[in-house]
Formats: sequence, structure tokens, C-alpha cells
Amino acid sequence: MRQLTLFNPSTFPVTAFVLPFLLFLCSCTTTEIDEFRQSSTSINNADETIVILGRRQNNNYETEQSFVGCVADVVSRGDNSITVVDEQEFLDAMFPFFEPRTAPMRTGHLEQLMSMDVAAERLDEFGIEYIVWLDGITERSEQSGSISCTIGPGGGGCFGFGTWQDDSNFEAEIWHLDSQSSVGSISTDANGQSYMPAVVIPIPLIARVEANACNGLGNQLKQFINGT
Amino acid sequence: MKMIQLITGKVSKVPKIGKLTAIKYSLASIIVLLTACSATTINIEGSFPAPLVQKLPLTVGVYYDEAFINHSFIEINDNTGDDQYIINSGASQLELFNTMLPAVFEQVVQLDSLESASSMSDIDAVFVPAIEEFQVGLPQKTRLNVYEIWVKYNMRLAQSNGDYIADWVMTAYGKSPEETFQSVDAGINDAANVALRDLAASFTLGFSNIPEINEWLRSQNVMQE
Repeated sequence: MRQLTLFNPSTFPVTAFVLPFLLFLCSCTTTEIDEFRQSSTSINNADETIVILGRRQNNNYETEQSFVGCVADVVSRGDNSITVVDEQEFLDAMFPFFEPRTAPMRTGHLEQLMSMDVAAERLDEFGIEYIVWLDGITERSEQSGSISCTIGPGGGGCFGFGTWQDDSNFEAEIWHLDSQSSVGSISTDANGQSYMPAVVIPIPLIARVEANACNGLGNQLKQFINGT
Repeated sequence: MKMIQLITGKVSKVPKIGKLTAIKYSLASIIVLLTACSATTINIEGSFPAPLVQKLPLTVGVYYDEAFINHSFIEINDNTGDDQYIINSGASQLELFNTMLPAVFEQVVQLDSLESASSMSDIDAVFVPAIEEFQVGLPQKTRLNVYEIWVKYNMRLAQSNGDYIADWVMTAYGKSPEETFQSVDAGINDAANVALRDLAASFTLGFSNIPEINEWLRSQNVMQE
């Protein structure tokens, strides 16, 4: 019986290339999306827009602006795309009504906001039909393994193996501005295991957990608002 | 190869590196070490949007004292006791107030001294902001994945003749998530900008609700009963 040795010249290609490929196949992401609809929705893409905002009231974390931007990008591209107002542009234009301390937490607060002429006029200028609140975080867990790298006069290299799990949990709550009510919510839970084998050079096999959560949530959100 | 020989202390045996080069390397190393020991100066930079609120029909004089204009906070390294970061926020504070106040009041006049207000009959009130406390939360110290800034302000509003109207405390808080390859400077700067926006938000929306100010505004017929 032939033994598979790591640095055996005849089996090295197997360990160096085939093994990472097999791990690549393993480093998949599982994404689960749940939708809860309270009312019917539709949007006139000619003159109506939406804005996607990150919740930043939590003490331990805040919804990353990059994730909000990613979801906005997915919603504003492809079939049935929706015009999305840039988050920072909206926050600056509506300042100080959507800051972490002052942002409406419930649809009831929208009534107070809309009662202020300056705020209502500015929202009207943007053509905002729906406000989408994104809340969530990507957490890393189950980190294990180690990689050591050395460098010397003759060259250098790394050896070892590292692995970790990423878990993305995000929820989007959709508010209809005219009726000042919540029309539904979409939640996404994506997780995946990433691997980093290092045989001379580290080969990152990253599970695209947050990217998958973003694509899943963005596409579902687009369908939800279009009412399809 | 030259580097390895330098590290092992065999400089004199290398014919291509003269004494002068060795001195240059030594001086460079000392400079690098000295730089590593000195505090990092962070100048808070940012721009702030004008608040979207209805202006109060008042002419307010604002006075920024030297401590406010040149506000600086020193974060101490817990292990060595040396200065770790010098955070200069004065310029940003000034920019924030100079953006925020003209959006809240119909007219704002910057005063050179508190005494100069008494000679200006058209001024309804004099506003003096001051920073009482400034705190920084660094991820390496708090073990949280965020940079945090907390600022405590003391605000004073007086009539142009110096008579008291109101004196109140305001706090501002800002946090910014720690990102891969992000410098500490950028993290602190982002958190400080969030804190300054937080102050502007609570000031503009809460100014008229401070009991003493509310009473004074009613006495001036600026607000209805």
C-alpha cells in the first residue's frame, strides 16, 4: 500500500493543489432568507425612490455602512431595479433627524417627523416611498489552527492550516412613508466555514458569507418592494 | 545579504560597507526607535451638514475661548505611562459650531471677548460652549471592536449684559467599527466625527426644550405659549 506523504515529489501536486480545491468546494455558504409581509407593496420606478439605512443604536455593534452600500447596490441593479438614495447623502440632507440618537425607532415616530414641514419637504424632494432599516452583524467564531511563516537567506515559506466560521445575521424592516406603517420584514442568516491551508504560500479559501447575505437580502428586497 | 550581516554584528568584516554607512544605519535605527516612542498626533478632520431646522428669530453672539479653540486631549499609554495619542479636536469643534449655530439662529456674531457683547445692542444672547471632559475608547484597551469618543460639554447662554439665562451640560458619543487595515488615526477620527454630529443633533433638536431657555424664549415672544 502506497503512503501519501506531504512532500513526496510524486504526490506533492495532490497535496498542494487538489487538497485546496477539495476544501474550496467545502468552503460553501448556507444562506437562509425569511420574509414576512404585512401589506402589499409597489413602486413607480419613474419618480419614486427608496433609502436603505443602517441601524446604529446598538452598544456592541453597528450595521456596517459597507453592507448597507452592498444591499443598495444589489437593489439598484438588474431587472426590476429600484432607485436607491445614497445613505450618506440622505443622512446629510436630513440631518439631524436620522442620526443614531434621533432616528425614528418605530413607525409612530414617522408621524412626528412628517409633522415638521422642513423634514417632510426634504423627504418629498427625494421622492422617498419606502425606508428600509437594516440591522445586523457578521460574527467570526470557531477559529482554530495555526500558520507559521519563516524567512531566510535562501527564501521563505509558510506552513500550517487555519479555519474559522463566519455568521451573518441581518434583518431589513420596510416602512411605507405615505401610510407611516411597517409593510414587512426580511431576515437573512448566512454562515460558512473558511479555510487557509499554507504549503509554502497561504491559500485563502474564504467563504463569502457577508457577500451572499447581501445578494440574498438585496434580491429579496427588490422583489418585495416591487410586489412580485 | 548585507542586512543579515549587519544584524549579526559583522559590519566590519564586510568590505563593501564602510564605517560611514554603518553610522548611517545606526542613526536611522535610532530615529526609527525614537519615532516609535513618541506620541502620535491626530488632528480631527471632518465636515458637517447644516441642520435642517427652523431658525429661531434671534441674534446670538458666540464666544469661543482659547481652551475651546485649541482643545487637545492626551491619551496615556497604560503600560508605560507615556503620551500615546494627542487628539486635537479644536478646529473641528469650531467648524461644527460655526455650521450648526447659523442654522439654529437667524443671525450669529462671533465675539472676540465676552465684554464686547455689552456694547452690541442688537445681540439677544451670548452663547459660550466649553469642553469639560473628553474620553477615548480604543479597541486594544476596551476589547470591543469599536473606537469610541465621549465628550462632555458645558453650554452657557447669557444676555448681552451678562445676566444669566441658562447653563446646561450636554454629552456627545460616537463610535466607529474597527476595520481590517484601518489605522488608529482613522478610527478615532471617524468616531469623533460621529460624536460631533451627535452633539449637533441633540443641540438643534433639544435647545428650545431646555426649561430655562424655553422660559426665556417665551418671554422674548420667540415661542408661543
